Amino acid sequence: MSSAQVQGCPVRHGRDDRKSARLADANLQPAKNARVVGSFAAAREILRSPKVRQAGASADQIDLSRPEEISFFFLDGDKHRKRRAAVAGLFAPKTIVTRHRAVMDRTMDAIVADLQGRGSAPLDELSWQMAVDVAAEIVGLTESDSNVNLANRVKAVLDSSVSRKPGFLNTLLFNAKMIPRVGKFWKHDLAPAIEARKRQPKDDVISYMVKENYSKKGMIMECLSYGGAGMMTTREFIVMAAWHLFEKPELRERFLTGGEDDQFAILEEILRLEPVASLLHRKAAEPVEGTQGASVQEGETVCVSIREANTDEAITGPCPYELDPDRAKRMKVVGPYLSFGDGPHRCPGAQVALHETRVFLDRLFRLPGIRLVSEPEIQWNPQIQGYELRGAVVACDPA
Amino acid sequence: MVAIRFIAVDGSAQTIDATVGISLMENAVANGVEAIEAICGGNAYCGTCRVHVEPEWRKITGPITEIEEPMIEASGDTDPGVRLSCQIEVTEALEGLVVHTPESQS
Repeated sequence: MSSAQVQGCPVRHGRDDRKSARLADANLQPAKNARVVGSFAAAREILRSPKVRQAGASADQIDLSRPEEISFFFLDGDKHRKRRAAVAGLFAPKTIVTRHRAVMDRTMDAIVADLQGRGSAPLDELSWQMAVDVAAEIVGLTESDSNVNLANRVKAVLDSSVSRKPGFLNTLLFNAKMIPRVGKFWKHDLAPAIEARKRQPKDDVISYMVKENYSKKGMIMECLSYGGAGMMTTREFIVMAAWHLFEKPELRERFLTGGEDDQFAILEEILRLEPVASLLHRKAAEPVEGTQGASVQEGETVCVSIREANTDEAITGPCPYELDPDRAKRMKVVGPYLSFGDGPHRCPGAQVALHETRVFLDRLFRLPGIRLVSEPEIQWNPQIQGYELRGAVVACDPA
Repeated sequence: MVAIRFIAVDGSAQTIDATVGISLMENAVANGVEAIEAICGGNAYCGTCRVHVEPEWRKITGPITEIEEPMIEASGDTDPGVRLSCQIEVTEALEGLVVHTPESQS
């Protein structure tokens, strides 16, 4: 990329390659009374501090007195670490290469056959298939009537859960919507998977929960957290990365000829500019005074702006809005910056997401005649405070 | 600053001037030790910053901590001196430390 050579790029100037920034600027809503932190160093220090607690996704309304019945996402400290550690191996690089890669390849074979047969297809439909198949395998949701139906049921529950509001009437409305949706997920997806794992355990999240005698509620919460996050976020990122590559022939050429490390560097740089999650909230249980600028009073809630931190020139160098795959190596920074969060709550599926995106795009862009027939429309999802890309259509030559 | 030596599988060595107070991994990345990938940025969630500490240094660097266990186990690395370098804080006591990097971090 030419941007790597832009030595004299003025501060905060240079090309702006971001596609989602304007929409995010117009729609992002930090929690009420939360102080926004945009410095990369301070943000990382806060996220890594053992003195802060999860404060996102209505965490303040979660009853922590029964940790076995809530998602790992809402836990902190030892309880959180132990729950994450128990299944951490499922997300390890070696496991991705030796196990999940086969699922990715198999899914991609099906996607390619389908696309070549139809001639064209909505890109987010194809990326959704990849994200769902991989997440389902890791979690162990493999006994559903179909992965498309599984994904729709997971999405229906998550859509309800993130729009929860306080108050008696709102709680009644919330329950009225949520209970039947959870019931369907339990009946059609989770219960059959649990029965199958009881008969024959595998190496997945559900087998672990069966072995540890998780309650029904505990299993539902954990599966929705791992599965939902993996499905919904990866779907969007694949489309976003494809959009950039379709639009930039030099970058696409580099992606196809550069080897895996270079492919990851390109994807991570796209993700730096277009993080799927934009805000992370934390509340200080004790005062936090760091050496890198973090300062949070006891009881204060802060909102880490991933978008601001990822474009903090102190860590990116000049021209932070330009897509420059050599940036991270030059600046000696881990590629996706804060796009997967940081600290104990860092996204467990980060490497899985990058791998499936790489596999998907590597196959897609090698298809004869591959082209973007229509660009995606970028929309804002207020529930997850993130972008959604719909309407992109890709076409290729018949097999 | 303390001197720390990284030895790759092919025998090539790189000695860095490490800053006290930050992790061995961060020092390695800052000094361009390519065998340290550290793709999770130092959260003990990826196991790609593994080093094999030479026997005479293991008492000083200490044993594998609880937080390192899952990823080291998942990596299949059974070297008796294996540690995640993101969990080793550089101190003055590590002056002259020698570590080996594995053939592959994945």
